[in-house]
Amino acid sequence: MKRLLSLGPVLLSLAVVLSGCKPSAPDSGSTAPAAGSTSGGVPKPLTVAFLPKSKGNAYFIAARQGAEQAAKELGIKLLFDGPTEPDPAKQNEIVETWITRGVDVIAAACENREGISTALRKAQAHGIKVVTFDADALPEARSFFVNQATPEGIGNALTDEAARLLQGSGEYAIITASLTAGNMIEWQKAIEKRNAEKYPNLKRVALRPCDDLKDKAFAEATAILNANPNVKLLMAICSPAVPGAAEAVKQAGRVGQVKVIGLGLPNENKRYVKEGVTDTVILWRVVDLGRLTIHVAAALARGELKPGATEVTAGALGTFKISGDNVLLGEPFKFTKDNIDQFDF
Amino acid sequence: MSTAISVGKPSWWRSEFFLVGVLLLEIAIFSRTGSNFATAINALEIVRLSAEIGLLAVWMTPVVLTGGIDLSVGSLLGLCAVCFGKLWRDAGLPWPVAAAATLVLGALGGGLNAMLITRLRLPPLIVTLGSLSLFRGLAEAITRGVDNFTGFPSGFLDWGQGYLVGGIPAQAPVWIAVAAGVIVLVHYTVFGRALRAIGHSPEGARYAGIAVNRCVAWVYVLSGTAAGLAALVYVARVGQAKADAGTGYELLAITAVVLGGTSIFGGTGSVWGTLLGVASLAVLRNGLQLSDQPGELAGILTGVLLLGALSAEVGFKKFSARRRASVTLASSNSPS
Repeated sequence: MKRLLSLGPVLLSLAVVLSGCKPSAPDSGSTAPAAGSTSGGVPKPLTVAFLPKSKGNAYFIAARQGAEQAAKELGIKLLFDGPTEPDPAKQNEIVETWITRGVDVIAAACENREGISTALRKAQAHGIKVVTFDADALPEARSFFVNQATPEGIGNALTDEAARLLQGSGEYAIITASLTAGNMIEWQKAIEKRNAEKYPNLKRVALRPCDDLKDKAFAEATAILNANPNVKLLMAICSPAVPGAAEAVKQAGRVGQVKVIGLGLPNENKRYVKEGVTDTVILWRVVDLGRLTIHVAAALARGELKPGATEVTAGALGTFKISGDNVLLGEPFKFTKDNIDQFDF
Repeated sequence: MSTAISVGKPSWWRSEFFLVGVLLLEIAIFSRTGSNFATAINALEIVRLSAEIGLLAVWMTPVVLTGGIDLSVGSLLGLCAVCFGKLWRDAGLPWPVAAAATLVLGALGGGLNAMLITRLRLPPLIVTLGSLSLFRGLAEAITRGVDNFTGFPSGFLDWGQGYLVGGIPAQAPVWIAVAAGVIVLVHYTVFGRALRAIGHSPEGARYAGIAVNRCVAWVYVLSGTAAGLAALVYVARVGQAKADAGTGYELLAITAVVLGGTSIFGGTGSVWGTLLGVASLAVLRNGLQLSDQPGELAGILTGVLLLGALSAEVGFKKFSARRRASVTLASSNSPS
């Protein structure tokens, strides 16, 4: 037994030596990552790594569709990996493996701003370009952020749609995720501003948080409808609240009298939109977000896109404005009865 | 005593040989399929990324040797991570003080397990199943499920993100020192032999004059302390402390221990085997990622590896038992 035990360290060190020996060959060519691969003289295609907040989320599956489309258009290699559930630590681990693997660009949707920035800065230190999309990292940890919508864009689209449906006057109520979340507050402010500037007869009578829960949104919407009989429209500005509010209107038997609009995913709301409960769901085209992100990433890696640029061309998608270091996807998109079936996310 | 313990051991099968083979096979395959797999940098990166699981797994080995199990280490890691963040940010303690307090907290968490197991004689599986929920629940309660501690000082983060001379990750010395310590403790001390004796037969060990309760208690306290240490390494590496830190780590640690040939019924096993188990799991995961394979495959192959290793071991035991059946009757002790 003793003898066998003493073999342990020998074998372990053998394994270490073996794994340590191999590097010497590819190491000499580590600046040219293709050295060890089988490709021979053919130049290696650009490798872009695409990191969603979570892999299984329909939203990111849609973004991936766009990313794959762009990869095909550009003839680049696309890596797609992410945590199965939103997990900042897993995101870091994946980024670190990509650093070792050697990719040209990382495009990340960040679950945790500070957490991932450490890993992204490390990637930059290794000569990997970084762009973010959907949710930004710290500015110094990436070159560009592909911004799907500005607060003004969202606020204006929601307020304009409400005004259109109410023909410019009437009472409405907002259901938000929480009264303290940064993005929610920005959107509320943008809505208030647009309301005050353009629609003096539009009056917000309630603002209720639903903690990002559909059940709570349903309860809050029901309470609003009971307390404010003159409310003609519910505006839900977090995604679970849109179907929640629609269900409340439906169960209160006030379909048609009270309209529902909101910021949400088409799939969650398809049923209500088709039944005529929900009029409009507003969101950006997520597929295009993925597609634009890959175009921006590739342009950055190829040196076609430099800091300070004011616009970027994304192939057949067209040209997009850049404000500061934010690439703007443009105006939000309206999903209605007429077009919602074309989208699956 | 040691001769009594090695009775019934198959003469030449050892999980370590099997695992070295697996490891070499993995290295051979991934060197071909993975980009930049067979590099010194990546070898060090594997050491870096396996530190937390490794710390938990090497301390899980003595626990399993006594015939126990500690399911709570992943949750305790989460709780320690969150408390470290709380102590540093909200209580305003300097990070070395907060870190020391975190280790104490880990020891206390392990102490709770130890008390319930030794005093109330509850099965370790049940006790640590309970504390698994308890510790994770506390971590979530402290952060209300949303708070995330970030922005730690660079002096602390260097322990998880920094590199020493020659590109050696900063946590490597810590993790190697701990592993070496456990090897000495388990394989070269009376305490280590006592653990095996307890694993074989707690009653027998008591009659042999071993302070069974004290030994078992220590093992859980140390396992908890290891969770505290792993929490610090984790927070320093990831740069944040959230309530879900270390979710599922306990199962990876136990997988490494069992893969390394330690019997889940206690009594036999080695820390070397655990280290090889940790290495083969870490290399598998790293190699698959560098080969651009989806993460799900790592789960599948880990399962295949574990079941394959256990089946092979049972197969070899049966084979060698049959060969020796005519010589001795004492060789069949495989409870599975």
